[in-house]
Parts: sequence; structure tokens; C-alpha cells
Amino acid sequence: MDDVLDEVVPSEDLQKFEKVYHEQLHQGRVTPKAQFEYAWCLVRSKYAADIRKGILLLKDLFNSHAEGKRDYLFYLAIGNARIKEYNKALHYVKAFLEIEPANQQVLSLERQINKRMEKEGMIGIAQEIAFGLSNERFIWRSLSSVEKAKKGVVCLV
Amino acid sequence: MSRCDFKIVLLGSEHVGKTSLVIRFVNCRFNASTPYQNTIGAAFCAKAMCVNGKTFNIGIWDTAGSERYEAMTRMYYRGAHAAIICYDPASLPSWARLRHWLQELRTVEEDCKVYLCGTKKDLMDSGAAARDVPEDIVGTYSQGLHGHYLTSSKTGENVDELFQKIVEDCAADIKVMKNIEEQRVQLQKEEDEKRKVYCYC
Repeated sequence: MDDVLDEVVPSEDLQKFEKVYHEQLHQGRVTPKAQFEYAWCLVRSKYAADIRKGILLLKDLFNSHAEGKRDYLFYLAIGNARIKEYNKALHYVKAFLEIEPANQQVLSLERQINKRMEKEGMIGIAQEIAFGLSNERFIWRSLSSVEKAKKGVVCLV
Repeated sequence: MSRCDFKIVLLGSEHVGKTSLVIRFVNCRFNASTPYQNTIGAAFCAKAMCVNGKTFNIGIWDTAGSERYEAMTRMYYRGAHAAIICYDPASLPSWARLRHWLQELRTVEEDCKVYLCGTKKDLMDSGAAARDVPEDIVGTYSQGLHGHYLTSSKTGENVDELFQKIVEDCAADIKVMKNIEEQRVQLQKEEDEKRKVYCYC
């Protein structure tokens, strides 16, 4: 709950803002507000495809609507971190901190991203070691069965 | 993930000092040199508090005051046990905004305990700012609510008192406490289940 990277949008909220966005899209004019609200729900979805869509909408807003740039940067960082694109996420964090170096929300987000990178890096290493070990054991077993087979052959002879 | 017993949400117009109030309460500090920064979306803070010998984890959602986030703020007060609606006594528009939140909470979250909070008391006391919101109007509005406090995040005056009162009110509410107890039992059950799975591994 306290982790902005874990927060999941309730599906009824996502649907509500999706509807508004699509209605405006149909009429041929989407306001930055509707697009932002929909993107804000998307980047907090549990599905990666939704998050990617949210990121695209936010990028579009970032390029077209100067007024909310800091907000778009913040949620671009969150969206990317949630789909494990940590380097991209940190790139947005850095861009934000260049404008507001002391922003507590962004500094805390940066700490969370770094923590996740570290944790997942450790898991990756652990998996590699485990994989290595199981391979080694397999080779060792095959070797020992070869040895046994050899011995069997010797006995037979 | 932290488990919170009570959920408190802060509402109010931008620039009234919601974030400063939370920082004063949670970290016991106030930094006058920090430039003003609008909160993005909402920020979460947690603190443990003791009432009648029992410890409660309280989660505070500090929402963005800017209108850009208005539709989103609604998602944060959903299910809140208490709401602190802040206003700046020297700003009439911030009071108008408070009335808007008050009305909305009354219709959407009937069970939510509402507290009014006039901020920046030190400015009022020192004469650096003049009161713009008449006291009698505030008095009329706070009738029937759970409390009205005038706080200063700079000096810390009345900040702990406000949160202490909220936690006491929540702890005295049988309905809220029953839910919390059920939640704790449920959590314990889930944790026991998890442990079982590990044992069979």
C-alpha cells in the first residue's frame, strides 16, 4: 500500500476513465485531462500491456502539453519501473530531479527503484547459481553412471 | 507492504499546507527553506500510535490539492476512517474548496469521521497574515463534525493533538474496531497458510 509501485487500480476506475477517453476519442477531440486520467489508471494496472499503453499516452502528453510535464515524468517513471524497465524509469527520475532536485516523492521513488533492481539482481544471480549447481550435479551423475557402466563392463569381462 | 489499522486522508485546496502537516506529524520537522512543491497524485505515510495501551498503525494519504487531480483524489478517500480537510484561514478560496470536499464526503463516505483543520496558525498569531475566513462561519460548519483544530506545522502547535484525537475517536468506534479485529484475524490466517506451504517444501 505504501509502495507506489505496488498500488493497483480498481478495475471499475480503469473502466470509468477508459470510457471517458474513448468517448472523446470518438468525437475527435481528447482533452489532456481525460488522457492523463486514463493513462494514470493504465500505468497502475496489473497487466503489462495496459501499462505500456499508459506509457505511450503519457509520452504523447509530455510532448504536447507543457503544463503538466512534471506529473507526466513522474508517472512515466512509475510505469516503466512496474514493467521492470528500470533503466528507463531512472532516466525519467533523473530528468525530474534536474528540475526539482529536492522532491521527496521522486527521491523516494528513486530509492524504491534501486531497491527493486538490487533485489531482482540478487534473485537473478541466485537462479544462475542454482542452475549451475543443478547442471553440475547432472554432469556428475552422468559421469558416475558412465564409471559404473565401465565397471560393469570390466566385471563382465 | 505495511498493514494499516486506520486510514486517514488529507484533503484541501493546494498550498494550504497538507504535506507540511504530515511531515510535521510523522517526522517532527518543518523546513522553511524548502521551496513549495505541488504533491503529485498522492503520497503515503505511516506511523504507529498508542492509545489506551494499544498500538495502532495509521496510514495517511496526503492528496494533491491541484484541481488536475480532483477525479483521482476520490479514489484515495474511499474507505477512509477519517478525513482532515485543511484550509488556510487567510484564504477565502481555500474555505470554498473545503466546503466542496465536505459536501462530497457527506454524500459518498457517510461513515468517514471529518475534522476541519485551519493551517498556518503561527502566521495568524504573529500578525503576518490576516484572517479572511470568519470564525463564526467556521464554528457553524464544524458543528456535527468530529473536530476543528487550528494548527501550525512550523511550531508543531496542535498537530499531535489533532492526530491523537482522530486515533482516539477511531479506537472508541465499535464498528471500526470490529472490522480491524476481523482484518487482523484474517491476516493471521493468511500468514499461517503461507507458513504451512513452506513446511511441505
